[in-house]
Amino acid sequence: MANNIDLSIDFCGVKFKNPFLLSSSPVSNSAEMVARSFDAGWSGVVFKTLNSDRLPIIHPSPRMHCLHLGSQKEMAVQNVEQISDRPLKDNLMEMLYLKKHYPDHPIIASIMGFFLDEWVYLAKIAEDNGADMLELNFSCPHMCIEGAGHKVGQAFQLLEGFTEAVKKAVYIPVIAKMTPNITDMNEPAMYAKMGGADAISAINTVRGISEIGLDDWVPRPNVFGKGAISGTSGPAVRPIGLNFIASMAQNMALGVPLSGIGGIETWVDALEYILVGASTIQVTTGILHYGYRIVEDMIEGLSDYMAGRGISRVSQLVGKALPNLYETDHFELDRQGITQYDLDRCIGCGQCYIVCRDGAGQAIEWDAQNRRPKLIEEKCLSCMICSFVCPVPGLISFKEMPSDWKRRETEVMDTSLEKQIKIEPFTKEGPNACNV
Amino acid sequence: MSNADKFKQMSKGLDLAQAIFEADRCLLCHDAPCSEGCPADTRPADFIRKLRLKNITGAIRTIKENNILGGACGVLCPTARLCEEKCSAVFKSENRPEGADRPIQIGKIQRFLIEHAWQTGFKVFDEKPALRPEKVAVVGSGPAGLSCAAELAKDGFSVTVFEARPEPGGVLRYGVVSYRFDMNFFEHELNDIKELGVEFQCNSPIEGKEGAEKLLKDGFSAVFLAPGLWAAASLKPDAAGIDGLFSSVDYLAALRDGRFEEVEAKIKGKTVAVIGGGSVAMDCIMSAAKLEPKDVYLVYRRSYLQMPAESDELIEAQEEGVHFLLLNQPVDYVTDKSQRLKGLKLARTRLGAPDASGRRKPELIEGSQWILDSDVVIEAIGNQAPEDSTDWYPHVAVTDKKLIKADPNTGKTSVDGIFAGGDIVRGPALVVTAVADGKVAARAIREYLGN
Repeated sequence: MANNIDLSIDFCGVKFKNPFLLSSSPVSNSAEMVARSFDAGWSGVVFKTLNSDRLPIIHPSPRMHCLHLGSQKEMAVQNVEQISDRPLKDNLMEMLYLKKHYPDHPIIASIMGFFLDEWVYLAKIAEDNGADMLELNFSCPHMCIEGAGHKVGQAFQLLEGFTEAVKKAVYIPVIAKMTPNITDMNEPAMYAKMGGADAISAINTVRGISEIGLDDWVPRPNVFGKGAISGTSGPAVRPIGLNFIASMAQNMALGVPLSGIGGIETWVDALEYILVGASTIQVTTGILHYGYRIVEDMIEGLSDYMAGRGISRVSQLVGKALPNLYETDHFELDRQGITQYDLDRCIGCGQCYIVCRDGAGQAIEWDAQNRRPKLIEEKCLSCMICSFVCPVPGLISFKEMPSDWKRRETEVMDTSLEKQIKIEPFTKEGPNACNV
Repeated sequence: MSNADKFKQMSKGLDLAQAIFEADRCLLCHDAPCSEGCPADTRPADFIRKLRLKNITGAIRTIKENNILGGACGVLCPTARLCEEKCSAVFKSENRPEGADRPIQIGKIQRFLIEHAWQTGFKVFDEKPALRPEKVAVVGSGPAGLSCAAELAKDGFSVTVFEARPEPGGVLRYGVVSYRFDMNFFEHELNDIKELGVEFQCNSPIEGKEGAEKLLKDGFSAVFLAPGLWAAASLKPDAAGIDGLFSSVDYLAALRDGRFEEVEAKIKGKTVAVIGGGSVAMDCIMSAAKLEPKDVYLVYRRSYLQMPAESDELIEAQEEGVHFLLLNQPVDYVTDKSQRLKGLKLARTRLGAPDASGRRKPELIEGSQWILDSDVVIEAIGNQAPEDSTDWYPHVAVTDKKLIKADPNTGKTSVDGIFAGGDIVRGPALVVTAVADGKVAARAIREYLGN
């Protein structure tokens, strides 16, 4: 691993050894656990959301479920986990322990109150007991109380008010954690900013149902005969997380550091969040699947990637994909291409033929004698679905065609039916772009 | 664990997660080569896709509707040279002609699905067919007989299977070793057949003058002959009385028919030699090797490459500690005064030109005789039709080896209403080919009796 690579990152003035943090969840429940994660290489922690001891926190049982995709385990995890069920004092002692033994590893205290005074109380007490930053949990997806959890994340003025109160009460930086269970995250993020938030983290879990028992018809987890729409996490939600981080990073008016969360398991996943504008990333489900050890591969993989590209500081990568991110109306539609096949490497399974026939342009003929696909170039839609099913990496690739190349139109089954068509041409004037 | 315990159960198969993992490796080919390679027309491409798409009951149905002995075949088939042989998941290409991976373990997935049906109580044949008035007799309850009987019962015929031995199953009960295929598994599969309404009459040999042909006069509209080959070929037909000499037929049956301790006592601490190079010889020698002998020798007159046994069997035998005595031709037995076996007289051979089987023919080397001290010798040099078998069906045309002549497409013999299949037609062959014969004959019998 290259020595001259600097993975450290400044996030709201707090320095992290690398961008990889535990998110607020079961993986950051105790000092014993967090200490081991630091030993493994995680740079910091968002400690499991503190509660004020005002209300008893009791976890449903069982509290999680998961979704497999064939033999691929944990495509998604479903949880009805609550905030920390430990006494506040215990959690504070744990934070003090970590500060004492791991002074170089920032502690971000996640807090959630149910009303203004409670938010302020928790914020102050966290600051007084060693927290380097706060993360305001506006996003827990299975709180039913109005004014708590994701209900706050969906009530923007409330969110602004709580942020503002917390900001007035503490000196340390404050992150607002967003729920993805809305349409445009820029709106609540701007409210948080107006309230004084120093950074935004996203996403919390996506409300979902990942499995339903077929014998009992109870959505999972089955809590003694009852299911609930609850929080989905894991690789399945990564595209959603990337969408929200990218769209906030593109918003010049927002302009605050972003912490990316959602389905990160590998250095590639982490890097993708960084490329769309996150400067730290947080992980839970990846750890639920593989344990803290995954950070070793995140550090090594990202360092080698950077070394291979001659990039020495990870901060140089933040937002690097944003200049290439457009609305679809910016695409150059006069440039077209098709697939190309490296048939020397073909093993003859014919999956490309099946999917092109049933889901694309019928652009492949099957040579049954030799068990090989034969591409009819002018019918190829360049949808690339053949390459998705091809078991040989890189066998099918994209190539641009010359500007005078024309794709053949889909044939009509029976042109004699033309005389039976009932049609009047559409003649009304309207906008040329798809403005709604 | 006692030796008897070692023989009671076969090793566990895949569980659901492992089966799904294996199904996930499958490339779900457009024109799956696996589904061209089965003698019994099993379509692995279909049942693996069904498993992949969580249609587990459909996967089970795909197997069982086609092959009532799908479980047995999943366990016993030499899949490496059948369905798995051309599997695309080996990743052979122009660029990489040697491939890069192993085939999907089709046999193991098939076994899993059948066991899963038994575990979950899923019944493939839950609707009773409309009954037909005709009765059909099946002679022999090995894989050919069972397959034919099941097919006909599914069509509503009333089927009676006549079995000479005390229990049904033929080679599946008396010809394979339990650690490869155990009785619990077989009883489940047999039960699937019994539930179709097939009637079994055991201890009912159909022998004596015209014994088989008479069935047509005893109220049966058609007869399927599948008695198998239960007479052992022997090096020296007059050697039968030697204490310590077994035929493979008798030895394998003894392990399953209540004589296990007797066999064990003969082998434990002793020197055992097995003559032969086929799969039956491998079953004999591997089972002997598990009974704590002093030494086990496999004696074969050609060389390693000419052995008909499957390559995994040969490797397993070597790993079990079997000594391979290749290029040695058994010549005679050495006994003491009380006819107890003392040794096996061998002569060394060299390989000459290929013979009719295409394999290089062994030639004896003059003056090379020697004696291998041995207490037990098992002859696994082939099975044949019993001497008097032609008396049971005198009008049915047979070959010079007393194999029944039957049309491969219908199983029809020279006698109207009598069909045949399995080893009595083909000579020693696979379970799956016997299953195929049973299916073919059942189809022909249905046509014969009028669709």
